[in-house]
Amino acid sequence: MNNSVTTESIAPLASEKTPEKAKTSNVITEENSDAYTTVGQAFSENAKMSMRNVNVFYDEKQAIYDVNLDIGTNEVVAMIGPSGCGKSTFLRCLNRMNDTIDTCKVTGKFLLEDQDINDRKMDVVPLRARVGMVFQKPNPFPKSIYDNVAYGARIHGLADRKSDLDDIVETSLQKAGLWNEVKDRLQQPGTSLSGGQQQRLCIARTIAVSPEVILMDEPCSALDPIATARIEELIDELSQNYTIAIVTHSMQQAARVSHRTAYFHLGKLIEVNETEKVFTNPDHGLTEAYITGRFG
Amino acid sequence: MTKPEIKTIDKVNRTLGKRYRAEKRFRLYGMLSIGFGLLCVLFLFTNIIGKGLSGFTYHYLQISVEMDATTLEISDTSDLNQILAGNYSAVVKRGAYEYFDVSSRRDKSAARKLLSVDGTGYLLQDRFKVDAKEIINTKSMVWALVDDKVDFYLKRLGEPGEPGKHEFSEKQLQWIHAAVESGDLQKRFNWAFFNNGDSAHSEEAGIRGAVMGSFYLLLVTLALSFPIGIATAIYLEEYAPKNKWTDLIEVNINNLAAVPSIIFGLLGLAIFLAFFGFPRSTPLVGGFVLTLMTLPTIIISSRASIKAVPPSIREAAYGLGSSKMQVTLHHVLPLAMPGMLTGTIIGLAQALGESAPLLMIGMAAFIPEVPTGVSDPATALPMQIFQWFRNADAGFSEKASAAILVLLMFLIVMNTLAVWARRRLERRW
Amino acid sequence: MDKLNIDQHISQQYNSALDDLKTEFLELGGIVEQQIVNAVKAITDVDTVLAQEVLMTEKEVDEREMQLDDLCTQIIARRQPTASDLRLVMAISKSTRDLERIGDEANKIAKMAIAISDSEDLPHGFSELRNLGRHVQEIVNDSLTAFARYDIDMALKVVNKDKEIDREYATAMRELITYMMEDPRNISRSMNVIWALRSLERIGDHASNISEQIFYLVKGLDVRHQTPDEMAQQVNKQRK
Repeated sequence: MNNSVTTESIAPLASEKTPEKAKTSNVITEENSDAYTTVGQAFSENAKMSMRNVNVFYDEKQAIYDVNLDIGTNEVVAMIGPSGCGKSTFLRCLNRMNDTIDTCKVTGKFLLEDQDINDRKMDVVPLRARVGMVFQKPNPFPKSIYDNVAYGARIHGLADRKSDLDDIVETSLQKAGLWNEVKDRLQQPGTSLSGGQQQRLCIARTIAVSPEVILMDEPCSALDPIATARIEELIDELSQNYTIAIVTHSMQQAARVSHRTAYFHLGKLIEVNETEKVFTNPDHGLTEAYITGRFG
Repeated sequence: MTKPEIKTIDKVNRTLGKRYRAEKRFRLYGMLSIGFGLLCVLFLFTNIIGKGLSGFTYHYLQISVEMDATTLEISDTSDLNQILAGNYSAVVKRGAYEYFDVSSRRDKSAARKLLSVDGTGYLLQDRFKVDAKEIINTKSMVWALVDDKVDFYLKRLGEPGEPGKHEFSEKQLQWIHAAVESGDLQKRFNWAFFNNGDSAHSEEAGIRGAVMGSFYLLLVTLALSFPIGIATAIYLEEYAPKNKWTDLIEVNINNLAAVPSIIFGLLGLAIFLAFFGFPRSTPLVGGFVLTLMTLPTIIISSRASIKAVPPSIREAAYGLGSSKMQVTLHHVLPLAMPGMLTGTIIGLAQALGESAPLLMIGMAAFIPEVPTGVSDPATALPMQIFQWFRNADAGFSEKASAAILVLLMFLIVMNTLAVWARRRLERRW
Repeated sequence: MDKLNIDQHISQQYNSALDDLKTEFLELGGIVEQQIVNAVKAITDVDTVLAQEVLMTEKEVDEREMQLDDLCTQIIARRQPTASDLRLVMAISKSTRDLERIGDEANKIAKMAIAISDSEDLPHGFSELRNLGRHVQEIVNDSLTAFARYDIDMALKVVNKDKEIDREYATAMRELITYMMEDPRNISRSMNVIWALRSLERIGDHASNISEQIFYLVKGLDVRHQTPDEMAQQVNKQRK
């Protein structure tokens, strides 16, 4: 048995594991932080969104360091990493949700097709119609199920007639797999649904605006396994028509739903690879350590 | 392992009794405090109600009055001036002499003094205003107001303890008791208390003027402070950048809430009366002053209820592409509204009971007329109570207690309204 | 040399489960290795007692194989291993099968030893048998050592050596066939030796299979059905 039982810290061991690889270091320190380049396949030929040299600061504190990432059309990209690694922050940059935080400063290029959405001149209202978001906690409005779904379509003026709006509501609920459960009680409050149903309602609400990209910030963290399985199934179906970026704490979930997986660590994008690759043979020692549960 | 081991459970059991005793004591302190509070409230209420209830009733003597046109000095019943100037006291006096069956000057005077001739006259005048044609030159039964001393004497009579001092002669006493026994002298509900304005005579004094004054005051206050307060709260919470200026504003708003109300009165005096020259003693100016006073309360409670709107709702709305105004109007405001309404109603209730700032802008004046608009001189309920209590006349202190009851009623109604509004609006979802 | 750090998990239970798995696997390897040694010795020394002993251990090997399978299933069910942990469990699961087969082959050799012991004179081919036996035992040992150390270079050596063994086997076969052609009376006896040689060659293949799993375990590379040169190329490409 050569299984050393030393108490060395993870990082030196991780670097020892892949000494020959091109990565200069797996240990991220202040000195080499800027020089870090992501391992794996961060770029996509068929990119819906391309992020280049993304840096995010909260006041003086830097939250994200020089991230480059593409999200392919109709692709599901999962972002994983320990708490505080910047994955949620990054996700929220994709539809400028960080604008609501005064101290947050975002630099870099965020191309949605050919448009830089991080341009201060870019209007966030149409942007958010194109890049929808589903949040961690199911957060239906305290309105009826119908009004919840119809809200986005209403404020963006997507329906001219009542019948158009009815259609939007019905197709959105159908796509979210909720129609059969709620079609008889559209006027009941959205909050009367169960947690999993509420989250699907939130997804239906997002779909109703027909976005191109859907961002999901830990959409199943408040749900039980059955509801989670439903949402995951839904994500799979939605990926036929939408581009999806999902942040999740559950590595199994990332493994189940995503095509590519991005691993963030202390604000840096350590590795992006095909999900199969990441979960069987990740390129980077830190990814390996994280997904196998060696630190957290 | 030779030492006998003491089990944890034994140690726990040993302290258990002490812990439970401490807990019981702790609960007892709380119950005592609540009991003391309840006792105080109970005492206050029984005291006020006991004193005030009698203010709602008054003794009336049924006499028959000859509505003689010549005595009344009314020749044309369609002439309002004549009706207003009619000599009603003369017919009331004559009715009184007839009832007590007196002829000598002394007796007449004694009989006259048992009635409130002028007060009854006003009652007659009110009747003439409605249908003078019908009742002129007829003889009809009238419930005449007795003198406040008679009322006071009779009200004390039923109560245990000494009958109380009185200045009535033997004859007058005889008359009173005879009238009571015959059922002609009765305690009746005092409508005049609700229909009349203030008066120099306690039997004629009513709270209508004060109630209307308070109503207009609150109207002005509500119309100004609710929109201003909510707009301020929304701006500060949703739009204002967080910098030292907004911090300063916030600190000042919080400080304003703690400023003694009389300061606001001084401010109103200096600005609205002296500088802008608004008419004094009017609900308009009073409303301005009370607005200044209630604004901090409304702003603070509105901001608190805006803050209490879950951020997830806001995020959801922003995530769908709502603009800031849409988020505020569609989501934040409806959810914060119950809290805002509660804050506003409580602020108004505070304003309703406020007297100090009104003192400074002249709303403590004696104003017998019932105000008909915000620019008429008026007084307010608390001011009226204050004035009546100051009056040495025993009849007025009874009225004051009754007025307190009315004020309390209003406050209870308003607070119930606040609770109801909150429940009603919250229950929707 | 690469490390997999299976003892670095936050969960100590997980660490010990993986550690147990690996220890059990290597113990099974040790038992099987001893079986080979004994079986070859039994045939060349005509020692039926030793041969019986080999046959006796068969049952233990089977039991241990099932136990290892159970451990793998449990770890997958309870821990959902990923990355290196997943590769370790998969590699052990597959290699256990190879070890069990090696045990089976050793048994066959032991049976041959008993069969051969009935004849009187020394048959031909014993020296080849002894030679091949030693080499096979070596590569089985090497493959287990490489597994224990996660040593790719050693695994590559095992694969190369297996090719040598194949050649050695072919030579021995030719020799025995010539011998049988010379005197057909030797055929039945020689056939037994040939069966034993064949078993040894198969053992070498299984050892080679185990080595291939080491590539998967350490590098995540699937090098099955490849020539040693191709394997070396892949490893180098990844190291580049």
